Amino acid sequence: MRAQFVLSEIWIGLRRNLTMTVAVITTVAISLALFGGGLLINQQVSQMRQYWDERVTLTIYMCTEISNSTTCEENGPATDKQRQDIQSDLESMDQVKSVEYVSAEQAFKDFQDRFANNQAMIDAVRKGDLPDNFRVQLVDPTKYQAVANEMQGRPGIDTIYDDQQVLEQFFGLLDGLTTAALTVSFVQLAAAALLIGNTVRLAAYNRRKETGIMRLVGASNFYIQLPFLLEGAIAGLIGGIIASGFIVAARFLLLTRIQQWFQFDVTLSTGSLLSVIGVSIILGVLLCTVASFLTLRRYLRV
Amino acid sequence: MIHFENVTKVYTTQKHPALEDVSIDVGKGEFVFLVGPSGSGKSTFLRLVLKEEKPNKGRVHVAGKDLARLSNWKVPHLRRRIGCVFQDFRLLPNKNVFENVAFALEVIGKPRRFIRKVVPEVVELVGLEGKADRMPDELSGGEQQRVAIARAFVNRPQILLADEPTGNIDPATSIGIMKVLDRINRTGTTVVMATHDAAIVDSMRKRVIELEEGEVVRDQTRGVYGQAY
Repeated sequence: MRAQFVLSEIWIGLRRNLTMTVAVITTVAISLALFGGGLLINQQVSQMRQYWDERVTLTIYMCTEISNSTTCEENGPATDKQRQDIQSDLESMDQVKSVEYVSAEQAFKDFQDRFANNQAMIDAVRKGDLPDNFRVQLVDPTKYQAVANEMQGRPGIDTIYDDQQVLEQFFGLLDGLTTAALTVSFVQLAAAALLIGNTVRLAAYNRRKETGIMRLVGASNFYIQLPFLLEGAIAGLIGGIIASGFIVAARFLLLTRIQQWFQFDVTLSTGSLLSVIGVSIILGVLLCTVASFLTLRRYLRV
Repeated sequence: MIHFENVTKVYTTQKHPALEDVSIDVGKGEFVFLVGPSGSGKSTFLRLVLKEEKPNKGRVHVAGKDLARLSNWKVPHLRRRIGCVFQDFRLLPNKNVFENVAFALEVIGKPRRFIRKVVPEVVELVGLEGKADRMPDELSGGEQQRVAIARAFVNRPQILLADEPTGNIDPATSIGIMKVLDRINRTGTTVVMATHDAAIVDSMRKRVIELEEGEVVRDQTRGVYGQAY
């Protein structure tokens, strides 16, 4: 009896306020999609950071015949003795976790593997163009500068290159995107909350006759307010479901492309995608219910 | 059943109190007419009984409960013991007679079986048998008021408040309405009726409480409406 009565009241309410309901659902969907997108990029960035932190953070390129830096021109190409010294010095440093020597042949092969799907890059680089190098992994990737200072200028070393610094620029861009998406989504969510408040106010006004009689015959506050609260919650739920569609689309279209740029396989797990969707839907439902509740407290008093 | 003790009510927008130092006692099963000109405080009295307003001074007891000490969330339970009838019927236009009466039980969560059983009984009690599936706009004013009375009474309240129930109804039909209220009173329900209708008050010969500018000026068992109006 109760359930059926409440459900029919909700249906009447949603139908009577169709235009407002559509407006609420749209606003909620857009704001939640932005919110979820922001969360998704955020998670992707932190996963990529982790991925890179675990890998090479410092590359020391050795001098070759064709190197044009001043140290290389003074000292000529690196000798085997210099390589051995550098390797043992690096290995003795506290900040260094591991050192890997990559010969020129290996470097060329790695390059070909990495750009296997990019014929132009492969054609542009010939064997011998790539110098041999040391890939140094640090205990703490942020201590890059100390290690670099130690090695810089030693005979046989051409340049020291920090992968992270280049990545930081890209991560910075993604961070900016995340912040922008989240900021816009919060403004939108605030707008959605106001819109819901207005819709509920209209609904309460439309049904003031019913609610007045309900109050008179002693219906509890909860019983009077429930249909309105559930109306808000349902609008929030539908908005959240639409938003999760957008989020899934963003995951497969946008993030997949970002991963392709990086040429590395850092895929967000289905679990984290589901958690983003879950958070968005719960946020939508909560927001709508709370906004409805606060409005009702003002317009549907005992 | 209803006990007012030196009750004063001043609305914030008005200088003159709507009720001033009013003490009234209405016993169980009584039938009381509340008379007086517009603005004399009749409606304020009824609103105080329902706890729609709070008194500025004095105490209000209804059905053995001190309303000042009744928490807000218990007010609905108080109102389940009080039925209300108004001059403007207040029926839901998109529901038929049965549904309008059933509405009062649905919203307090009564089971469907119970509703199917009691609603026809009450519809019959107010004299609308055979009209349960009519819509309000297919009924006369008197019949609509009977529906409103059925709705107010269907939960078997201890008190029935009627605010000028015959105000929109012609004298001949009013007599029928009064018979229904009298029948309800005979079941043991306390009835308080605010009215301007001198003919009805005079013919019923019940207790009459007269208010004027917020004060009780007369309280008379088996009274009449009075000369002044």
